[in-house]
Formats: sequence, structure tokens, C-alpha cells
Amino acid sequence: MTILGEFALWISLPVAAWGMVLGYAGGRTLRGDLVLSAERSIYAVFGLLVIACLGVGAAFLGDRFEYWYIANYSNTNLELFYKVTGLWAGQRGSLLFWAVLVALFGVITVFTNRTKNREFMPYVAGVLQTIMLFFIVVLLFADVNPFERLEFTPADGRGLNPQLQNYWMTIHPPTLYLGFTAFTIPFAFAVAALLNGRLDARWIQLTRRWILTSWLFLSVGIVFGMRWAYEELGWGGYWFWDPVENASLLPWLTATAFLHSIQIQENRGMLKVWNMSLVLLTFLLTIFATFLTRSGLIESVHSFAQELKIAYIFLSFMGAVLAASVVLILYRLPELRSENQIESFFSRESAFLFNNLLLLGAAFSVMWGTMFPLISEGFTGQEISVGPPFFEKVNFPIGLVLLALVGIGPVIAWRRATKRNLQKNFTIPVTVGAVTAIALFAMGARHELALVTWSISAFVLTIIATEFWKGTRARARIEGEGYLLAFFHLITRNRRRWGGYTVHVGFVLMCIGFAGAGYNTDSRFNVEPGDVVEVQSPFGHMYELTYEGLSMSIGRGERNLLWQAIATVSVRRDGEPQGVLTTEKRQYTNRDTQPMTEVGIRSIIQEDLYLILSAMNDSGGALRNDPGAQGIDLQVLIKPLVNWIWIGCLFIAIGTVIALWPSVDRTRMAREKAVGSTEPAAAGAD
Amino acid sequence: MTLYAGVALVAAAVVLFILQPVVKGIHASLDRDDDELTETEARKRVALLALRDVEYDFLAGKLDEQDYRSLKSELTAEALAALEADEASKSGGGSDEALEAEIARLRAGLKSGTPCPACAYTNADGSRFCSACGHALAAAVAG
Repeated sequence: MTILGEFALWISLPVAAWGMVLGYAGGRTLRGDLVLSAERSIYAVFGLLVIACLGVGAAFLGDRFEYWYIANYSNTNLELFYKVTGLWAGQRGSLLFWAVLVALFGVITVFTNRTKNREFMPYVAGVLQTIMLFFIVVLLFADVNPFERLEFTPADGRGLNPQLQNYWMTIHPPTLYLGFTAFTIPFAFAVAALLNGRLDARWIQLTRRWILTSWLFLSVGIVFGMRWAYEELGWGGYWFWDPVENASLLPWLTATAFLHSIQIQENRGMLKVWNMSLVLLTFLLTIFATFLTRSGLIESVHSFAQELKIAYIFLSFMGAVLAASVVLILYRLPELRSENQIESFFSRESAFLFNNLLLLGAAFSVMWGTMFPLISEGFTGQEISVGPPFFEKVNFPIGLVLLALVGIGPVIAWRRATKRNLQKNFTIPVTVGAVTAIALFAMGARHELALVTWSISAFVLTIIATEFWKGTRARARIEGEGYLLAFFHLITRNRRRWGGYTVHVGFVLMCIGFAGAGYNTDSRFNVEPGDVVEVQSPFGHMYELTYEGLSMSIGRGERNLLWQAIATVSVRRDGEPQGVLTTEKRQYTNRDTQPMTEVGIRSIIQEDLYLILSAMNDSGGALRNDPGAQGIDLQVLIKPLVNWIWIGCLFIAIGTVIALWPSVDRTRMAREKAVGSTEPAAAGAD
Repeated sequence: MTLYAGVALVAAAVVLFILQPVVKGIHASLDRDDDELTETEARKRVALLALRDVEYDFLAGKLDEQDYRSLKSELTAEALAALEADEASKSGGGSDEALEAEIARLRAGLKSGTPCPACAYTNADGSRFCSACGHALAAAVAG
């Protein structure tokens, strides 16, 4: 099976090349046979890549350590679950996985468009095959072939990095990859539009669902990564501004900008060049993200040198895509001019535009900070990396203004807002925001950034709640429906709007959670069994922690564990027993690493109690099970409002699904067609 | 041996599958859909949606009467223009003459109407007071 997979990968190379050439040629000559062949080649490449993936899977399950990839990412003792997910555990498998996802989305696109939107399909097929060809070339010629064999067969593999042996880590990368790769489809349609000259909003309408799907997976994937960092890295943070995280944030920022700016094009016929540029930029950033995550470029220029070939291939591909797109946009520039102009600074259009500029500003700063070590090394020979303070200083203010815009955008009038419009809609929310700030201050909150964030959040939530309330009330009044039914219909009749608002609520909740970090507490205790320590949380809860003792288990090679030291702590909150929490140190056999830490988390809606076994007083003695060697350093963190980050993410997911839900467009379309024939008369009679 | 047979089989199947359309001359359609909105239809749809949004904003209490009236008269004019363009492109020069005439009349009224200096609402010709806010128009014309 593995060899068949390897052959399949080789066969896919000429097939993708064929499809690429025929796609473009078919679009140029409008020959249906060439186009059909190009479309079929996408099915074929997908099938071949699936066989290749199965080949890698079979090698994992069969412990085929003669393959470099298997020898480096698995061993005999690895749990079955991690062998199955081994395909995306490392660089080589991920690249193959990436290619197969692009192919899968390509197949879905070709299949769903087999009888419609035909004028786009030749170039869409051509673009998709170009991207697949690129990944296949990388896999085969950039020293990252997952089927590469070692000269000898090791008795066992090196095993999987223990930090990756975590539930979140198995679902975080594929979720992100789904987001990255789904964005290929809007990109392909955008390029097809540039090539075939259909430059109205059609390509956007056709790919709206892909854009949302991609955005959903990106958002959720990033939060999964945060969750993993929070649980697994063992020091209580969820975001570190490290290059790999930043790499996933970059396309998210530009995709979010795109998601907003396309609404202006659809509503007002403006920003056409801007949207083209954003879709292109986002696509490039997804490629850049793979490149950054999977090439080790940023950690050091030295590992960069080792992977020179893949770097060159990636950089030339990105350069070529960039050049080709810029040429295409310039070529079509006269046809991409705006149909309207922004009339006033105080208008919804201008709020949208401002949102876009902020998101791009954030993306630029993140990009700059991420690349800075490389740039500084290039110029001065010294690698200087900018730490979280840089990113926070730049992005916190941007984030706050964006947060405020989430409230302002939906209620400010299109075209131009009058003073009355602003007064009518903002008096109450601004008051609520101010009252929140004063109340929190009175209650003793002094962290400025958190106060500002919560105050703006209150402002925004008031606006969104008012929107829901006014909409429901208006509907109930006009249609004579009960409030519950009116609320339900309100959402189902315009899922885009209300799904969007739900996403906004999620974003606000996440910001509230982020601001909670201003009140993190961190205390360390050296404890012996039986010791009781007390920690007061910012919400006034009193945690009483009793250290029960350390239990040592010596692994017998199962799950690659050498030993495991488990500290047990019983928890009482405000005098009420809350059960026990454990926190561990683990030493794995297969990696020459420091012992790993497993944290203990007890979560309530206001805050998380987060325990870390930071050190053992006498680890040698503990290993021998000396009764006197049970003392440990226990680190007790309180993390206020962390849960709201995950809850916010849930809202974001639900909101996006509401906006994505099918069938609605068709019913709306039919309704509007009907409305279209009667409404003008009524409007004109006014 | 079976391995090579398998590889050959897969390769042959792929080649057949993708070459068949070119060799046998099977053509995929490349035409635009019939039921797809034309450009003028799309513009009309957008204009009507904008009108609907203003209506909604007013009913939900987000716009006050004056803003609503001025925005609405502006959007109505745009919607009419879009409608007119769409009709023109469809009839190819005027089969539905009654409708054409009606639209032309309304348009002429809107174009030549008197905008209110206070609320920008376009009033029909000859109005002495704004029908939206009651502001005296004659004075504006005279002054």
C-alpha cells in the first residue's frame, strides 16, 4: 500500500500539470472538451493523493521505520490514535495533507458547479491545478517526500514529541489547514474573474460560503491552538505571539477584513480593487503560514539554511503568484473602478473601511514583528526578536478600536449619518458603557486596559442587544407575531445579518475574557504533604488547597513514559469541598527532553484555578519513593474569565453557521423576485 | 508483481478518464446560466435591498422620520433608475410603453422636484410646504 501511495504521488504530478495547462487553454479557446478534461484531472489528482495519504497511514500503522517520516514521528509504543493522526504530525505529512485538502475542495467545487457558473470553471480548474502542482512539486523535489527511505531500517522510531500528544493538538492543525485550504476556492474564483473579465460581484457571491467556511475553520482552529497552549505548555498562557501562532493569525486578520469589505462591494459597488487585493493577500498569507510553520525559518536562519530548497520553492511560488496577480489587477484596472463614492466620514461605509484599515494595520504589525528577527539578522548579523510587549503595545489599541467599531458599524446609517441618527442610537449604549466603567471602578477594579475593554464591551453588547430587541419588536408589530416567533423569523429571514451579530457577540465575549488576564494572580508555595495554602481570587473566592502528597509511577515503556510524578491537591472553595486536582511531571523515554508538566485546572464561570507542579524538592528521592522526599514547589494561578474566551469562540462558531446555513438564499431570492415586481410602484408612489 | 499491476491499473484508469473528453470530443458547457441575474437585474436587486434596509432601519427605530425620508427619496430615485435600465435592457427599446411612461413621469417629478432645505426630502413640483417636515418651501425658492 505504501509503495502504491508513493507511485500515486508521482502519477499525480503529470496529471496536475496536464489539468493546469488544459484549464487555462480551455478558458482561452472556450473549448469544452479541454475544460472537461481539466475538470476530470482534479478528480484524478484527488484520488491519487488520497491513495498517497493512505500509503502514509499504512506505513504508520505498520511501523515501517525504513521511512524517514515514520521513523521520526512514530515508534512502536505510540498509541494507535496518534499513529492515525500522524499524517499531520510533521512537516512532510502536513504538506501532503494540505495538498489533499485543496484537491478535496477542488472536487467539491467542480462537482457543485458542473452545470452552473460554467464561464468561471476553466480558469478555476487551471488555478486549482496550479496550486496542487506546486504542492506536489514541493513534496517530490524539495527533500520533504514523506515516502523517503532511510538507508537502513531502525529498530524503532524516535516517537512523537510528547507535547504533541494531546487531544487538542490532533484537531488543531487539521482545523487550521481546513481554513487555509478552503480559502483557495475564493482565490481561484477571483483569479478566474480577472481572467475572464466578469468583474462584478458575481465571484464574491459564488464563493461567499467558501469564504465563511474558511473563516470559521481558521477562527476555531486558532482558538483550538490557544486551548492547547493553555492546557499543555504548562504556564497558564494561551497566546505567546510566537511565529507559528502569528502565522495563523495573519490570514485570519486579512480574511476578516475581506469578509467585511465584500459587503461594501455587494451593497455599493465600491472597493473592487481592494477586495481583489485582499483575497490575493489572504491566499498568499495562507501559503506563507504553511511555509513559516513548516520550515523552521523564523527560529533561526541556520535551520533555514538546512531547508534551503523548500524555502526557495515556496518563495518563488509566492513571488510568481504575487506578480501574476498584480499584473492581472493592473490589466483589469479600468474595469474595476468604483461605481460609487463614500459620501461621508460618518457612515457605515466608512466604518467598514476603517475596520479594514485597522485589521490590515494589525496584520502588518504582526508580520513586521514576526519577521523582525530575520530582518535584523540580515542587516546587523544579530538576531533580535521582539517580544510580546511589542505586539501588545501595537495590537491592544487596534483591538480596542475594532471592538468599538463592532458596536458602531451596525447602527450607523449607510451613506451619511446625521447628528440625530448618532444621538438616537448611541446615547443609551454610551451611557451603559460609562456606567459600567464607573461601577467597576467603584468595585475596586483599577487595571486600566481591562476597565476600558469591559466598558467598551458593555457599550457594544448594549447595541447588539438593542438591535435584536428592536428587530424582534418591529417584526412582532408588523407581522402580528408573538415575540418568540418574531425573534426566530427575524434571524431566519436574514441570517447574514443576525449570524454576523452573533459572531460579534462572540468576539466581544472573547475580548472580555482576554481582559481578565489583567487580574491574573500567581503565587508559589513550597509544600509538604498535609500543608494547607490559601489563595484569594479577584472575584473574592477563597481557595483552600491541601497538598495530599506525591505519587510516583515508573512507566514500563507504555505510552513511552519513563516516570510520572503526580501531586494530588484537594480543593475547597469558600469552605466547600471541590474534589481533588492533580498536576504532574512526566519524563518520556523517547525524547531527550526536560520533564514535561501537566497542569491541573478547575474551571468555574468566573475563573480558572490552575495548578502547576513546578519542581520537586528532591526528585531523586521521590523517584526512589523516599517518604521524606514528598516536598514540592506548587504554583497556584488564578485566571479570571478565561472561560469566556472559549464561550466566545462557541458564539463565533454558532453565528458563522447561522450565516452559512443553506436554503435561505434561495427562498430569499424567490421572495425578492416576487417583491421586486411590486415594491417599485409602492416606492414611487411615496 | 501484483504491485506493478496495481500501479499500471491506476495509471491507465487515470489516463483514460482525463483523456476521454479530448479524444472522444465530449464537451462541457461553458455558457452562462439562463436563470442567472443579468447585470441590470443585479443592480436593481441591490437597489431594492437598500430600500428594504432603510425601511427596516426606520421601522426598527434606528432612523428618525427626517433621515428616513431623505434617504428614502434618494434611494427611490436610484432604484427607479436601476429599474428603468433593467427594463430597457430587457425590452430592447420599449415594448411596455405604459410602464416606461410611468417611470419617466415619476423620474421627471423626482428630478425637477423641490428639495427641502431643512430635511433634503424631494417634494413634488409646486409644493409650498415640505411633505416630510412641514418646512416652508416657497420661502426657500423665493429666497
